[in-house]
Amino acid sequence: MARSWLDYKSPAWVQWCPGCGDFGILNSIYRALAELNLDPEKLVVVGGIGCSGRTTFYVKGSNAHALHGRAIPLATGIKLARPELTVIVSAGDGDLLGIGGGHFVALGRRNVDITVLLHNNAVYGLTKGQAAPTLPAWVQTKALAHPNIHDNVNPVLLAFASGYTFIARGYAYHTNQLKELIKAAIRHRGAALVDILQPCPTYNNIMTNKWYEERIYYVDQEDPSYDPVIRTPEDYKTKMPKIMEKLMEFGDRIPLGILYWNQTKEPLEDRLEKLMPGYKAAPPGTRRISVKGKPFLHPFDVFKDRVIEVP
Amino acid sequence: MVDLTLIIAGPQGGGIESAGQIALKTFVLKGYDVIGTREYHSNIMGAHSYYLMRVRERRPGAVRIPVDALLALDAESVLTHFNDVREGGFLVYDPATAKTRADQIQPMAAPLKERLKRFFAERGEKPTVEAAIKVAEERGVKPVGLPLKTLLKRVAEEAKTPPASVSKTVNTMGLAATLYLLGVEPEVVERAIALQFARKEKVVKINVIAARIAVEYVKEVYGPQSRIPDGPHRGRQRMIASGNDVVGMGKIVAGLGFLSYYPITPSSDEALYVEKHNYISVPQEAVGELGYDKLSVVTIQTEDELAAVNMAIGAALAGARASTTTSGPGFSLMNEAISLAVEAEVPLVITLWMRAGPSTGMPTRTGQQDVLHAIFSGHGDAPKIVLASGDHVEAYYDAIKAFNWAERFQVPVIHLLDKYLASTMVSLDREDLDPSPVVIDRGKLVEKPSDGYLRYEITEDGISPRARIGDAVMYITGLEHTPDGKATEDPVAREEMMFKRERKMKVVEREIPEEDKALLLGDKDSEIAIVSFGSNKPIILEALDMLREEGITARFVHVRLLSPFPGELVAEMLRGAEKIIVVEANLWGQLATLLRAYAGIKPQHSIVKINGRPFYDNELAGAIKRVLETGEERVVVSGGA
Repeated sequence: MARSWLDYKSPAWVQWCPGCGDFGILNSIYRALAELNLDPEKLVVVGGIGCSGRTTFYVKGSNAHALHGRAIPLATGIKLARPELTVIVSAGDGDLLGIGGGHFVALGRRNVDITVLLHNNAVYGLTKGQAAPTLPAWVQTKALAHPNIHDNVNPVLLAFASGYTFIARGYAYHTNQLKELIKAAIRHRGAALVDILQPCPTYNNIMTNKWYEERIYYVDQEDPSYDPVIRTPEDYKTKMPKIMEKLMEFGDRIPLGILYWNQTKEPLEDRLEKLMPGYKAAPPGTRRISVKGKPFLHPFDVFKDRVIEVP
Repeated sequence: MVDLTLIIAGPQGGGIESAGQIALKTFVLKGYDVIGTREYHSNIMGAHSYYLMRVRERRPGAVRIPVDALLALDAESVLTHFNDVREGGFLVYDPATAKTRADQIQPMAAPLKERLKRFFAERGEKPTVEAAIKVAEERGVKPVGLPLKTLLKRVAEEAKTPPASVSKTVNTMGLAATLYLLGVEPEVVERAIALQFARKEKVVKINVIAARIAVEYVKEVYGPQSRIPDGPHRGRQRMIASGNDVVGMGKIVAGLGFLSYYPITPSSDEALYVEKHNYISVPQEAVGELGYDKLSVVTIQTEDELAAVNMAIGAALAGARASTTTSGPGFSLMNEAISLAVEAEVPLVITLWMRAGPSTGMPTRTGQQDVLHAIFSGHGDAPKIVLASGDHVEAYYDAIKAFNWAERFQVPVIHLLDKYLASTMVSLDREDLDPSPVVIDRGKLVEKPSDGYLRYEITEDGISPRARIGDAVMYITGLEHTPDGKATEDPVAREEMMFKRERKMKVVEREIPEEDKALLLGDKDSEIAIVSFGSNKPIILEALDMLREEGITARFVHVRLLSPFPGELVAEMLRGAEKIIVVEANLWGQLATLLRAYAGIKPQHSIVKINGRPFYDNELAGAIKRVLETGEERVVVSGGA
């Protein structure tokens, strides 16, 4: 059964400010899900805390809304308990890179098959405009008392260093391109990051649509030969210099598109299956745990390392 | 009647742990029941550590000092424990250390050096090993010198290897000599060595040679010793397991599917034990109904405790029996997530192994200082279940119950234990861990939710049908919500949800059986009442046995459920008690606070221990007597090095 984007729209009122980049992201998510024709019951959108975290309630799915910073661990627990589900994290820059920075790194290290949609507007919207970890130094957005004295983190570079195997950057108002990036990220088996630049018309009066449009460009449009895909260890040597250049670029020019796509690494679920054959067929979330309502293991029969035969 | 106590002491990394385990195995092979506990520093190599054990026909509920024998493998051990041996007991040491002075021992704690200096200065002596031996000897202790270096040479000669390669056998030599002095035949020790180093043939061989040479030496110098008889527990399978082990076993028996943890003493050993056993062949007869023949438990070492608890919540939402295990500092980090689990009604099990705080405190020492922290964890009105186990058997069954309750009532369950129980090993029988009386109760788990499923449906008992994430469209959230899980700040909907969650706790209070709330033990009519909880249980029972012989009897209320606190039941159990003494390992009086708050009882007396070591039965019996004689409000006991 083919699904339309309306099949993923929950009846909730979308409470974002007019012109918010989140609308573009939500619209792209709906269309990506429809084109992938995912079953809403098998789809899990895990939201963080903040404006973007409300995406949890706007997408029809089997969803969970996490604590501030903890969307990735919550999503990881769900995915490892039921590896057959499609798990998407939708959270902001403050959530994923500030309070939850350690988990952002750990997801790369684990390469769990989770898609992270990073709503990157460089401010904390819901608490009225404080600086996010992605706000460049000396920028003074309107809610700040002084120019920002912290440097900004580069999410795609951090993701690369952490081990994410799919890294892309999109722009919230370019919904057609963003939809394609989200689709590719969901299809990818492993930790995927889509860094989504978005204006916050209410609090970020510096990094506006105009500011972005003057800087962003698509890597594949500028250079059709740009190849982000690593298929063999050999590809590393030949392709990484160019990829690295794109990952590092953020300033007067900001590259969009699929920047890095490593297809040589298995996701954590495959590693677990390798260690414990049968894990995926009888995963922790759904396997039966009792026989006629009773436990079926006796410690003396299982934990032999503690048993002593007394003559 | 055999009732032996023993200290094996030496530097950390010097095989104290394995010598302790060999000793436990030896006595179990000989047919006895054992208890052995480990005291160690937050250090890998060099700091002082010791194993304290007791052997008896029936399972000893406590360790105690003074002991029948001390094996002191280095100078620090002699100077730390020379007053811990009873009159007529053995002090086994290396005479080569005789001249060593306390101030020459680098790892020794400065305050202890100072105490030793003062102690020996009063006698006009320097704080040396030989001075300590002399003091012990004056008290009737029998010193036994074991020249370890000379004996090591013999071991190397006999094993035909260089001396350096056998240097690790000094603990075995000391142990074999000590056990021989205590009346154990060397053959049993050798069998225990073979068990300890199973499949490492070379190691077994060298250690057996070392044991023999040490025993021959003792026989030569001190003459043959009398034998203790074989114990009553023979001819069957037995187990020696720690509190960490049995909790891990209980979880797996309960159907654990997911365990996340961040390394922290004293909880890590539980996680590591589960990790070691996370892939299990299902018994043939169960394969049909289960539909799988290999059981896998996903065990994940996380980047921090925040990840550990939130991952476990995620896995629980997806239908797994999920748990995380931690200690005080880690539990502090988990607080926010506990509140989420309350609001989102997640069946989460947190195992909390208390250690001595506040802050990093004494990471490897015991305490019961997180009672109030556990109960009041999480911001907002966040009621939850807190269950404390008294001994290994309770801990095993409680680990299973915790999951049943978490799923039945859809609340987080905190299973409260401590470092003493964590690292204490006891002998167990097959019946002690029999899972057949247990049921697996998943509460209102819905396998196939129908259209229009509401995760937070308002029900009479407050418990909603619970579908797994991935089986229905739903919204799980820590925001206040409507029955469909959508965020709301509507005042009426808010009250409805608050009352719904409150009703669940009423069901918890009603449906948890009395024996899981509190036990009335001892002499139930006595006017003297002891109230305690957790791992103090068997220690108090031992102390009460000792007091009974002196004509003193007391009732003992062992509180199991700390939240919701069974105030009425405990008050009922304490009715008619004239003197109420609370025993707990914290200075605040946390259990006493709960008695005042929930049972309307103001206990007059307390016995507390805060030095990071467990209660000993003899010191506890002494403290109870002291309270009765002097009427003191608080007695602080301080046994242990």
